[in-house]
Amino acid sequence: MTNAPPPSGPHRDDALMNRFDRMGLRCFRARDGVLAVLLAAVLLVVSQGDSIRKAGEQMNPGIGREVVLGVGRPAAWIADQLPFAGVSRAATAWLSPNPSLKGLQGFSSRSAATANSGTPVVTPEAFDPAAIGAKPPPKRPLHTLLVTGDSMSMPLDSDLARLLAPKGVRVIQDPHVGSGISNTLLVDWGKLAGLQVREDHPNAVVIFIGANEGFPMPGPEGREVECCSTAWAAIYANRVRQMADTYRQNGLARVYWLTLPAPREAARRSIARVVNAAIEVGVEPWANQIRVVDTVPIFTPNETYRDAMSINGSQTIVRQADGIHLNDAGSSLLAGIVLARIEQDFTD
Amino acid sequence: MLFPTVQFAIFFPIVLAISWWLMPRPSLWKPFIIVASYIFYASASWRFVFLLGGVTLGNQLAAVLIARTEDERQRRLLVGGAVALDLGVLGVFKYYSFFVQQFADVFAHVGLGAPLPLITIALPVGVSFYTFQAISYVVDVKRRLVKPASLIDAAVYLSFFPHLVAGPIVRAREFLPQLSMPRNPNRVAVGSGLALIALGVVEKVVIADYLARAIVEPVFAVPQAYTGPNLLLAAYGYAAQIYCDFSGYTNIAIGLALLLGYVFPQNFRSPYRATGFRDFWRRWHMTLSRFLRDFLYIPLGGNRGGRLATYRNLMITMILGGLWHGAAWTFVLWGAFQGAGLVTEHALGGRIRAPAWLKWFVTFHLIVFGWILFRSESLHLAGVFLSRLATIGAPTLWTAPVVGAIVVVIGLQLIPEKPLERFQVRIERLRPALLAVGLAIVILFAAATVPSQGVPPFIYFRF
Repeated sequence: MTNAPPPSGPHRDDALMNRFDRMGLRCFRARDGVLAVLLAAVLLVVSQGDSIRKAGEQMNPGIGREVVLGVGRPAAWIADQLPFAGVSRAATAWLSPNPSLKGLQGFSSRSAATANSGTPVVTPEAFDPAAIGAKPPPKRPLHTLLVTGDSMSMPLDSDLARLLAPKGVRVIQDPHVGSGISNTLLVDWGKLAGLQVREDHPNAVVIFIGANEGFPMPGPEGREVECCSTAWAAIYANRVRQMADTYRQNGLARVYWLTLPAPREAARRSIARVVNAAIEVGVEPWANQIRVVDTVPIFTPNETYRDAMSINGSQTIVRQADGIHLNDAGSSLLAGIVLARIEQDFTD
Repeated sequence: MLFPTVQFAIFFPIVLAISWWLMPRPSLWKPFIIVASYIFYASASWRFVFLLGGVTLGNQLAAVLIARTEDERQRRLLVGGAVALDLGVLGVFKYYSFFVQQFADVFAHVGLGAPLPLITIALPVGVSFYTFQAISYVVDVKRRLVKPASLIDAAVYLSFFPHLVAGPIVRAREFLPQLSMPRNPNRVAVGSGLALIALGVVEKVVIADYLARAIVEPVFAVPQAYTGPNLLLAAYGYAAQIYCDFSGYTNIAIGLALLLGYVFPQNFRSPYRATGFRDFWRRWHMTLSRFLRDFLYIPLGGNRGGRLATYRNLMITMILGGLWHGAAWTFVLWGAFQGAGLVTEHALGGRIRAPAWLKWFVTFHLIVFGWILFRSESLHLAGVFLSRLATIGAPTLWTAPVVGAIVVVIGLQLIPEKPLERFQVRIERLRPALLAVGLAIVILFAAATVPSQGVPPFIYFRF
């Protein structure tokens, strides 16, 4: 770094601006540029039209979504009429980093949206031995912990991994940002849970999800049910139940399902309330294997949102600026609480 | 609205076509491009368009008042007020929660409560960049390097969407002259624009995001779980990732601006080719380093006050430059490390004779060491990372794609610049239709590598 020259004459930084001229730039007409960009756009529409529509469907309601769908729907129609989409899919499929969910049971292919017929049978698994004074099952060693969910599970997953790394526990961090149980377009959690269990056989699962809920879901008669009626809550609870059943692996694994701390915005708070109620109902049949870790009394007592709370006698900010997620301090506190709950079921 | 998204792919062709249609009539083009830029900005959060508008109005008022007076004291006061406004915006939105938490912790140790409300404040995207551009505008007016622009020109300058959210930090005297006359529709760098956009997409989506997923994020999140070889690879991986991420953004931004008829300054010049810290900062984020030089280092006294004053000024400049990247002690430490590197180099004054390859090797690894501080989520985790670097273990993460990507990114910067430039020029001279097909194919293949959760934001969006 040196001092600046006087303001007159050519400036030393001019080299940063005239590099294109220096290199012997070939210029074209603006019309060529516009046509070139439009040509690239047309090529993408005929080969990826369906992706544009899907991107729109994954967006939150609003003008942006309408605009993308306004382009995406005709683009998908055009792409469907031409052979290019199939060719481009075949040419690029090998590059996809997404795991294949083919052959797995998703929410749409199972009775998640429907109530069971007949009187449900209560099994012994519905009782937590500790709650009724019965003898608890013997503790087992923890080998593999899966920490999953949407963005709520970050950085909780890293915090738990750091806490458990010295104990030799394999911690699989598998967050799926932007996904939701009520929205199967991005990730079908019914299928994903099956894949996670099949690939890793975790003997404990921590799941923290719910930041992107509130999407309409197909009801028992095939009609879309809007959030957040009791009918919507029932569908959500059935989906939670399907996932919980998958994660518990016939009783071989323990599941720790975290409820949502109240968000700042009132609209989101009402969704979180329904999601939390649905979690409680969804996991009821397996109270001896599935623990609900209720974050509401920890971070938002009486569902009252707060940015900061007392930790070890010091007022500490625990939420991120979006009023939804926990920040590092909040996540670290929650990791300690979850770990304490895990240690009640597993040996050190 | 990120550049590599469907929303932007719809937005840009429309804006480009209308922009050139309106270009011969600046009285229509300028309001149009402001509206387009504000729509682009509002897609992240509509509330912050008022902040951008407020910063524009405040700085424009100061620039006009500065130009109207010859009284140096008044000019200084006015520029001080404008800079205080810009830094105040930065301070509140970027640093309030961090500093108030630090004070609360100190107060709690002595049994006192938090001195200020402990609240979180959302960080407006791009605030670090447009406040710096606003500072450069009023200071350059005060230094008589530029005349104050009209309000509409100042609004275009600060909000122009290709550079709005993550730079490059374009100086007023570089951009305002381009605004003073309509761009020539017969002299548009279409080839360069399309080629840079394609290159940027590959850098960001294919390389940077892949390295982040495959090695950087898992290892930096839990360094306790990894041994030396994997930690070392993650450090190299982050060096490659952050370069591709930021250079990718910059290339797309410069390419978009070229298609719209505007030229932005260069921001990177093979930074991992550097053979010293000073050399590195002439190659890495060049528009930030010259901003820090012209608006912080030199006003502090530069190298005019003797050796110790120069060292002090270098340290202050780099520590504040580190803090500019984010409200965390890791950035402060990274800045201090960069400052210490510059001071050491200054103190040695070229007395150490070493072959160029050795200088490069040492510099490169010191820069990578700095990235470990920069990327770590806390000082504690940086310590864990560094303390475990010497541990022995199997290189389980050294896969061919990861190592290959790192080698390509670093290696390409070590190739002599001239042949690469010649190759670039040859590509840029191709017919636009051919380049358009190339761009579509690049986007098609890059999109196939995107995971279901989409393209993560550019690293520098957080700054």
